[in-house]
Amino acid sequence: MNPIVMTYVQGPVVEEEVRFTLVELCQACSAEQEHVLTWVFEGVLDPVGESPEDWRFSGESLRRARLAMRLSRDLEINPPGVALALDLLDEIAALRARLQRAGVR
Amino acid sequence: MKFKDYYEILGLPRGATQDEVKRAYRKLARKYHPDVSKDSDAETRFKELGEAYAVLKDPEKRAAYDQMGGQWKTGQDFQPPPGWDAGFEFSGGNFGPGAGVDHSEFFEALFGRHAGAGQSAHRPPRGQDHHAKVLIDLVDAYRGAQRSISLRMPMLDAQGRIAMQERKLDVGIPKGIRAGQHLRLAGQGAPGLGGGPAGDLYLEIAFKPDPQFRADGRDVYVTLPLAPWEAALGASVMAPTPEGPVQLTIPPGSVAGRQLRLKGRGIPGTPPGDLYVMLTIALPPADSEAAQEAYRAMAKAFDFNPRKALEGQAR
Repeated sequence: MNPIVMTYVQGPVVEEEVRFTLVELCQACSAEQEHVLTWVFEGVLDPVGESPEDWRFSGESLRRARLAMRLSRDLEINPPGVALALDLLDEIAALRARLQRAGVR
Repeated sequence: MKFKDYYEILGLPRGATQDEVKRAYRKLARKYHPDVSKDSDAETRFKELGEAYAVLKDPEKRAAYDQMGGQWKTGQDFQPPPGWDAGFEFSGGNFGPGAGVDHSEFFEALFGRHAGAGQSAHRPPRGQDHHAKVLIDLVDAYRGAQRSISLRMPMLDAQGRIAMQERKLDVGIPKGIRAGQHLRLAGQGAPGLGGGPAGDLYLEIAFKPDPQFRADGRDVYVTLPLAPWEAALGASVMAPTPEGPVQLTIPPGSVAGRQLRLKGRGIPGTPPGDLYVMLTIALPPADSEAAQEAYRAMAKAFDFNPRKALEGQAR
């Protein structure tokens, strides 16, 4: 039995403290740049900045980009379909949260 | 090792056309995709589907799989016959469904560990970023915590082969974290190649289900039952909060469904969330002569018609 090495690690909360460049976002969700570009043009992701080199994506983009990645890969959905699915999933999540607040499980 | 009937998984006869394979996969994949379905076994079902599709959509793999014959049934003990794949050459998967997922032992025995995952010809020297989920208690978000997690991740061994390795990390959970947020742990992802930097590890935070409290973003909800007289006359009662019970003043004339907001008692942050106490009214059981007498006295004392609003609407 190998001794268990415990490493104490800490890191920033992505949604509050992290801004991604295009390259970083692609790396974080294993997506090709062309995919991320298409999702930006379909409105799935909304970076600030003029050109792709200057783009900065909010921390929340990580969740959306990963979801978009999985939906397009696993379900073979095209970019407009991914955009629609994400909007609908957001709406379902909001409705579920309302049910949960009311104590319905 | 158990045999897997990929046709059965997709609900197809063995003679199904490639178009039928694709249609069946897409239909079932939409139903069981873990991001879409809330079925508890969605993830397992979806993995199976991906694996079945990875084999049946690929004419080479499908032909090799078919060659083993239809006498095998799902769950039967199975060893691939020697030389079963003679004469077949697998050109390897490409980017598509099933890429990047763990395949079953059965799949790996037949098609090799990485047949399903798209291996890009040149990997950048920086290691890949990894993702994992960690469950914490709601109170950890109030106080901050240290959580040990173990992760299984593919690592390169001394011979340069990829092997699954278990790693333990002691992670600092910052105060104020909310469900669905991610922590970025720099350099804790896959090691880099040729001296390149390691990738990062992203941890998605989720709360363990709590019997009392429900969190929505920063706000936390709890249900507080009251006796009818506490609600009617007002009272001072102990109410639970994730940080321990607090004394709460119930205003007279409170009705069921009313929410009392305890400002700043939600998940900490700038601004902190609020704690909402949802009032319900619990009726004492009329299970003794004295209790029944008390209900009868109430009926006499009140000129109360709970169905007043329904009158005139009868049809």
